[in-house]
Amino acid sequence: MTSSRPFICLAAWLTATLLLSTPVAAASPDQITLQHNDEEIHLSVDDLREQADVEFTFFDPYLADEVAIRGLIFRDLLVAHLGGVPETLHFYAWDDYDVALGGWDDDNWILVTHQDGEPLSMRERGPVRLVECDYGDRDPANLRNFNDWVWMIKRIESVP
Amino acid sequence: MRPAPRWRRHLGWLWLSLMSFTLLMLLITYQTRWVYPEIHAYFSQAGNLTGQQLATRSREYLQQSLDILLVDPVDEERRHQAHFQLELAYSLFDIGLYRNEYRCTRPSLAALDELKVKLRSGEGLLPGDLRHSLLGPIRCLTEIEMHQLDRRSSVTAAFVEDTRRHQGQVLIGSVVIFVLGLAFWWMHERHRRSAERATRESLEWMARALSDPLTGVGNRSALHQEVLACEGKPMGLILIDIDFFKQYNDHLGHPDGDKLLRHLARLIDETLGGQARLYRMGGDEFAALLDCADDGVLAGHCERLVGGLRDAALHHPDHSGSSIVTFSVGAACFIAGQASFDGGYAAADQALYRVKAGGRDGWQVAEAKVVADNGDLKLERS
Repeated sequence: MTSSRPFICLAAWLTATLLLSTPVAAASPDQITLQHNDEEIHLSVDDLREQADVEFTFFDPYLADEVAIRGLIFRDLLVAHLGGVPETLHFYAWDDYDVALGGWDDDNWILVTHQDGEPLSMRERGPVRLVECDYGDRDPANLRNFNDWVWMIKRIESVP
Repeated sequence: MRPAPRWRRHLGWLWLSLMSFTLLMLLITYQTRWVYPEIHAYFSQAGNLTGQQLATRSREYLQQSLDILLVDPVDEERRHQAHFQLELAYSLFDIGLYRNEYRCTRPSLAALDELKVKLRSGEGLLPGDLRHSLLGPIRCLTEIEMHQLDRRSSVTAAFVEDTRRHQGQVLIGSVVIFVLGLAFWWMHERHRRSAERATRESLEWMARALSDPLTGVGNRSALHQEVLACEGKPMGLILIDIDFFKQYNDHLGHPDGDKLLRHLARLIDETLGGQARLYRMGGDEFAALLDCADDGVLAGHCERLVGGLRDAALHHPDHSGSSIVTFSVGAACFIAGQASFDGGYAAADQALYRVKAGGRDGWQVAEAKVVADNGDLKLERS
């Protein structure tokens, strides 16, 4: 009697390979999810890092230090993927923080991917975070002035 | 230098008063629109995630990772979960303020780094490792939390004290501005009343200067002013002379003569039905001015005047041709204006004298034709 075990092993191997090669929609720090009009768009963090074309140095109030920042203009990213800038966006972060904020049709907001030349990891409040490249005359010593900066972004939903 | 006119002075006080009240409104608006939102912004974060200290949130993640690592067995899945919690804790711990102000921060972050390496390498974790890598940072974070709470309390106390002082200053400022506003308003009111009184007095003086004190009707100046005020309008002028008034005075005395004048003034006014403005031109002569474009209408008024006095039958003790007081009346129509008035007055006067020459107790209306180019009048006997 011919053993069927090799076929079973082959089938199991093929199934496992297929499952692993299927795009994973589950949350992962390697991607962020945009949801707009019931449609989800998964953006690879590596792709965002490659696309990052805005660089500047500013005083980060949370680090209390000058840092070199690289990232993307957030408005341009929204326009490229959503076709426009929603009035309000709901953000979900890896630390379970969530907030709905408006006023994104503004070049001032930068989606940061790199800090001091290194890609942001979770411990640098990444993989991506939103900052204002110019925060005007707000006192950087009072961190409450920067409550709108969203860290560790996992998911962004447009609010209808 | 000439002093500012009265009205400008009291408007100046009014302006100052309004400015004070406007300033008061601006102060109240500033207080409600800017100061209270600032207070709200300061305290409104209490109770939500951003209102918590980063140290508190970081400590909670460290405690969660400790919980995960204290349960046997510490398999790969648990290590992964603990690593994730550690990374979150690290991100909230690695803050410039904590690094710069709390000496325990850097060693704590280094301890977390060591634990991360061990978790990734898969090597076994001893209780001593956890005590060193997690309890030390948790103690540090607790110390930071306590100190930050103390600082927050002192900042809050200072803020409350500042706000109280600010409120006091605003209150005093508001009271001062309000009192100033009232004072300016009072000054304005005082000047306004003073200006009003002065105007009223001037008008009274002007009225007195234009009226006859004995009969209360207007005088010659008032007649001229009225004619100038009615420039261009067709008007009728009636001159009324009391026949033998001198003899009346001589016989009965001046007090009775004055009484007669007052009585005749009322009688003329009543006879003309209140339509005419009445003036006393001299001792025994009255003038009546009325809107009139027609000699016929004027003649009717003259006839009523002479007839009315006859009907009144006022006794005259020394009249050469009658036993009652009689009028001689001359009238003329004219277009109101200085030049034509002179002509109209002359025409009425000539008509009056023709009545006197004709034996008095009668009336005549002069027919006046205005010569357009120079305002002179040609007179014809009516």
